Amino acid sequence: MTVVAHIRFATPALLVGIVSAGAFPCSVAADKPTPDLSVGEAVYQQSCARCHGITGQGDGRDAKRLYPKPRDLTEGVYKFRSTASGTPPTDEDLFRTVTKGLPGSGMPDWSHVDEALRWQLVYYLKSLSSVFADVPPEPLSLGPSPGQARVDLDRGKQIYETLGCAACHGTHGAGDGLSAATLVDNWGRSTRSANLTQGWNYRGGSDPELIAMRVLTGIDGSPMPSYAEAASVEDIWQLAYYVHSLQQEPRWTMTPRVPYLTGSLPETIDDPRWSLAERAEIRMRNTIQREGEANGPSSVTTISVQAVYHDEAIRFRLSWYDPSEDRDEPVDALALVLAPEGLTSDATSLQVWPLRDALALDLCVWSANRPEAREALVTSYEPILQGAGLGIPVVSHAVYDTGQWTLLMTRPLRQEQLPGATQIVPGRALALAVVIWDGGNPGQRAVSMWIDAMLQPPTEPSRATGWSLKLVWLLAAVVLFVSLGVVLRRL
Amino acid sequence: MMFQSRIPLLGVVSLLIAIGCGGGKPSDASATTDPRDSSEPSTIQLAQAVDQAAQPSGGGAGSSTIHGQALFQGSAPEPTRIKMDADPQCALQHKEAVHQQNVVVNPNGTLQHVFVYIKAGLEGRTFPTSTQPVSLDQHSCLYTPHVFGIQTNQPLEIINSDSTLHNVNCKPTKSKPFNLAQPMKGMKTRKTFTAPEIMVKCACNVHPWMAAYIGVLEHPYFSVTGEDGRFTLAGLPAGQYTVEAWHETYGVQTQTVSVGEGATQQCDFTYKAQ
Repeated sequence: MTVVAHIRFATPALLVGIVSAGAFPCSVAADKPTPDLSVGEAVYQQSCARCHGITGQGDGRDAKRLYPKPRDLTEGVYKFRSTASGTPPTDEDLFRTVTKGLPGSGMPDWSHVDEALRWQLVYYLKSLSSVFADVPPEPLSLGPSPGQARVDLDRGKQIYETLGCAACHGTHGAGDGLSAATLVDNWGRSTRSANLTQGWNYRGGSDPELIAMRVLTGIDGSPMPSYAEAASVEDIWQLAYYVHSLQQEPRWTMTPRVPYLTGSLPETIDDPRWSLAERAEIRMRNTIQREGEANGPSSVTTISVQAVYHDEAIRFRLSWYDPSEDRDEPVDALALVLAPEGLTSDATSLQVWPLRDALALDLCVWSANRPEAREALVTSYEPILQGAGLGIPVVSHAVYDTGQWTLLMTRPLRQEQLPGATQIVPGRALALAVVIWDGGNPGQRAVSMWIDAMLQPPTEPSRATGWSLKLVWLLAAVVLFVSLGVVLRRL
Repeated sequence: MMFQSRIPLLGVVSLLIAIGCGGGKPSDASATTDPRDSSEPSTIQLAQAVDQAAQPSGGGAGSSTIHGQALFQGSAPEPTRIKMDADPQCALQHKEAVHQQNVVVNPNGTLQHVFVYIKAGLEGRTFPTSTQPVSLDQHSCLYTPHVFGIQTNQPLEIINSDSTLHNVNCKPTKSKPFNLAQPMKGMKTRKTFTAPEIMVKCACNVHPWMAAYIGVLEHPYFSVTGEDGRFTLAGLPAGQYTVEAWHETYGVQTQTVSVGEGATQQCDFTYKAQ
């Protein structure tokens, strides 16, 4: 055969080989080592005991700062399984959790630990609770996925309604169902139903197959029940695809572009001109408001930030999920923190601010119980959160809808009325951060890292207008050619 | 002559043996008509299934009875009203206010929902497990019954009679726990508890005020006080027993009671307001 023919056959074969190799899930272990509990225990003491405790009872020295609390492994109750409710997980289930961690919680992924050692850890975990010997795991099967072609989102939505998911997860999956506020886990600790729009926070993973497995087996120890006896496997698959479709596409960027507008700034939260502003999603870390333990689940985990500006002012559009609208003390509130002049963004972290001798920060604070936001330079939060008259007024407008706050705040570029206030310069980066209080969860506040809002230079048109202008020209040219062609044919 | 005189002697000896071994083997106990014999459904068994709370227990192994009241001294605490905001469907089903069931004092000064059972004294005996299912109903967003008993391995049939989602989250520590969704009216499931436990708590996470407490025992001698505050443990073999009373708020009390063959013994428990 010729060289060309060789390549012709080889390339598809090679492609098939590569694709099928990639299709094998990485977590299938080729060789599970022979159990050696002393090895597993060594791994455990080194990596796990800090949170889960030396004896595995969930009482490690870091445990009090975490919420949800690290699991008491001696009880043998495991959330993420492929087995029937009330039965222990399979070895593979445990391996998966250890390898991938539980995103959105304090359980990190341990994929950097050697695979054989992870298996030894699994065997050691099983030795911590008698349930593995007493109760055989009952694996449940989802059967094959219906495949993308047979996904029916309307049917999935109907199943979501029939199975009562909205009671806890909310009508639109925002975790704001009527029963959400009173949910407790099996140990009586306050817990939250997942906000299904935030796929990155699904502890057990966000793919449709993983979602389906949660519905089928339930999440033991939590309010989430097993639907194994209440729904068919086909219905559960359709439900899983529907839930997957609720997930928002996050845009993790630390440098959102802030376009310059020649006209007026968008007045309402729904103004279509907000699409000109790049949306940045920022993860929030929850820190303890008062001394002591973390005693409630994190309610605010992400904030979405957009901004536009003109010659006089910059307007921010800030949006975040908060399961409860709290307009009475303790209220929902947000502080937009503008870095003062000359501050390098890693010089102070909001995780620890304020400390003694705290640096003064420029805060624009909005509270749900006050008609106007206020701006002030302060060395701690309390004066501006509680003092109604402190600082100068800031134009703001906030709306709460379906488990979400959306807030517009407008700040003049040059803040003359406040000495020492941050001055915003067109065409330059503005370092800012966000702090959020959820009145429904008063023990904590959510803080972000510093991000750089990149103010675009005033002369450059925003990229979006540039593109649409070109498109208009292109269409005009096409129309011209077509009509010319028609006219010429007719002559 | 000697042959004739042995018959009465044999009769006496057999009688003595029968008395001494009374209740040892289940087949002995059910040789005579035993209303608890599960192979023949009877009105007593239907009553047991429907109204477990007031049904006096019995195993038929004997003919003695221990009964009494759970008295309540002091002024009853103000009943807490249940707010059914979590589910408008629930609120709709109640015309009048619904109150927490954790302290229910009857007009006659007795305490409702006290679970009374034989804690000790039946060692060495085995009892047939009834195959008649005990019913736990989710109705108008409350569990009915609120407190009841069941034997180990006896089927528990859990029914959703409401047109709303309930999840049945039962947390035994000695048997396999479970958390099952019943989103639709009419859905049923059957579960069993394999080991004795005082008490297994079942809750609904969607409706956090709902709670049921189940006493799981190997023997059938248990009873729950109802609106008259009375309990009855019937069909007991003669003997000395430890009787325990359990209440979800006021805790546990025990008494030792001896009861002769065919006799009835009164045993009252007194709970004090805290």
